[in-house]
This record gives sequence, structure tokens and C-alpha cells, in this order.
Amino acid sequence: MERKNFLKSLVISAVSAPVILQACKKDSDSASPDATTTSSSTADGSAEGGCVVAPTETEGPFPTKQPASYVRSDITSDRTGYKLTIKITINNSSKSCAAVSGALVDIWHCDAEGNYSEYGGSGMQSTNYQLVHFLRGRQTTDANGLVTFTSIFPGWYSGRSTHIHVHVYNSSGTSLKVTQIAFPEGTGTAVAAVNGYSKGMSNYTYNKSDNVFSDDTAGVEIATVTGNTTDGFALSIALAVPA
Amino acid sequence: MAKRKIVLCYRKIIDVNSNKPWEKLVFNDSYMEFRMQVQNFAEVQTYPSYGELLSHVPEVKKLNHIVSGAVMNYIQQLNEVMPDILNNLGRRFLKFKTFQFEIINSHLHLKDKHQVSISFFSEPVLWYDTIDNYLLIGNEIPAESVVLTHLFQLQPYLSIYSVQMID
Repeated sequence: MERKNFLKSLVISAVSAPVILQACKKDSDSASPDATTTSSSTADGSAEGGCVVAPTETEGPFPTKQPASYVRSDITSDRTGYKLTIKITINNSSKSCAAVSGALVDIWHCDAEGNYSEYGGSGMQSTNYQLVHFLRGRQTTDANGLVTFTSIFPGWYSGRSTHIHVHVYNSSGTSLKVTQIAFPEGTGTAVAAVNGYSKGMSNYTYNKSDNVFSDDTAGVEIATVTGNTTDGFALSIALAVPA
Repeated sequence: MAKRKIVLCYRKIIDVNSNKPWEKLVFNDSYMEFRMQVQNFAEVQTYPSYGELLSHVPEVKKLNHIVSGAVMNYIQQLNEVMPDILNNLGRRFLKFKTFQFEIINSHLHLKDKHQVSISFFSEPVLWYDTIDNYLLIGNEIPAESVVLTHLFQLQPYLSIYSVQMID
């Protein structure tokens, strides 16, 4: 029992001191005949001098190139809310507003309660990858400069009006534009119909008071939003970027 | 000896020197994602190195989670068995369901500065005994049954993350 405890302590110290591990391994080999069987059987393999055995198993897994988990059109994941279809057209402000094809478009927004996926991830993540990056997506523009996402109508959080973040890149991943999409407000709008989900609209920040959108007096950041809470909503906007 | 329930953690470092296919894919794709996402922070133009940027803009640490989206599908390919760590029969054996992705270093322009780690956390196992430099572990099973075990050696970057005394 004493020896076991001694060996145990060696193993624990081995984590931080591989050099000591080697020295002690020799000691324990010579001092304990009953351990020799284990040692000698591995010595024929590759476990000499504190090394571990080399892999001896069927080759694999065979990794193949995989897209980031953001590359998807439906970004809903496990979130619930009124369905929202998002259509974004990217035009080239440096080239007479011609459609930009092959651009990467990232979008992300908060869920019905106003939470983003990226703030929950400081600790361990589960291998169930579907859940942790909810409401984030990436698509590549087609010949007409269009990308389409399926999501839910965003909720809101303190200090901001309803919005969707957009980051447009060229095909090699260089940033062309970081911007946000605002929503129309007032009677008959989607924002009024959704009514802030369970939060209601008390203390809601409207576009004119929003620190991002308040300077957009021409309304170029405000999307066209149609639909209703039964059938879902459809958002469309054209964004001009210097491509 | 008293039985202990332990969780093992293996921290796999991936950088420009990693040369297995899986590691290269993780290296390249996590760098691409880092480069894309870090451009959300305008300050990166002044501080292109991740470490420097982090010290000026603490919010940048959320990139750890966001960039992990680039490696999720590669984690899936491991089928919940840790890479690299072998039992004494030469097989991979440690099951995991949780992991933590971390950007150690990176740079907006210099790919060879990119270095990430993935820490794999094992499912809880019982530590039955220690033989020579090897740990004997197995799953927890009802009393009087035969326990199938794994014998393995602690090694650099493999550690015991948590321990719970059973009896």
C-alpha cells in the first residue's frame, strides 16, 4: 500500500515534470519485480524512457475539409419565435451599384429574449454543435448579389432597437463592410405586431434614440419588412459596399 | 486504494508546425475564421496581433467562442473519442462530450503566428489503481461485476481535471 501511494505520487508529479518521471521509472523498475512484466512488455513496443506507445489501430478517422458551422441558410437552431426570411442584396458602390456575386455575408442577431449566442460560450462547449452558435449564419451571394436566410424575428435588449448585424467580405475573407439592419417602426409594422415578444415594448429603444441608427436620417439602414405573426415575416434590403 | 472518479483533460495545441491532416484543417480553417471575425474590431488595424488587441479591447475574448464555429465540424469527425491519447494497447480510448476552444496567439496578417488549443474533457471514469507509471481506469459499474479497464500513462498536456472520492 505504501508503495502504491508512492507510485501514485510519482504519476501525479509526472504531469509537470516529465524529466523526473524518467528517472523514477528506472527506480521503480529495479525496485519492484512485480512491475517488470508491465514495463518489459511495453519496452518491445515503443514505451521506453517514459514514452507512450505509438498508435496501433485501424487508420482513421479520415478528415475532410468542412465548412464553418455558420455556413447555412437556416440559422434558427433551437430558438423559437416568429419566422423571418431575410433577403440581402449586395451591390457595388464603386461600380454603379452592380450586383456583387461571390461575396461572403455573415449575419447574426439576438433571440426572442434578446440574447446572443456568443456570450454564453466562455466555458466548455458540448459536441452538440447545433445549439451553441444559434442565430448566426454565412451565405455566398449569387449572380444577382442575393443571399437568403431563414431565421426568427429578433427580440430586443436594453439600449438598442431591433436590429440584425451584417458583415460583408470578399471571397477571400477581407472585410468590405460591417453594418446593421434596422426595422421600420410604427402602426402596422412588424415591430409593432411582434410587440417585443414576452418583454413587451416598455423601455424599448426606438431608431431615433438608437446610438447606431439615430444618424441614419435618410433611412438607408431600414429594411422593408412585410408579413404577420401567423405566416411569418419577410425582410429585404440592398446594401451597397465598396467591392 | 480508495476509488476516485476523475475527469481527464487533454489540451491539444495546434499551430503552424502541426502536420497531421486533421490538425492542418483545423489550423487553416480556424485562422481563416479568426481573420474574418477579428475584422469586426476596427482596432485590429492598429493592433494586428491577437495578444495586443486583447489587452486593448477585452471584448475580443468572445472570438474564442465565435471562431470555434470553424472547428465544430472537425470536432464532430472525432466521434467523441480524444485524438492522440492511447491506452497501453495502442488504441484511442478516452471518450469526450465537451471541449474548449482557445485562441492562444494569432495575427491579422501573419498566419504563422496563429496558435490555438482544443481542450478535450473526458467523461467521468473511475481510477481503480496505479501500476508502475500507469493509471488503471474503467467505467463505474454495479458491485461484484467485472470491470473492463484501460491502462495508460500520463503525458504532457494530459492531466486530471477533477477528482471525486468515492469510498
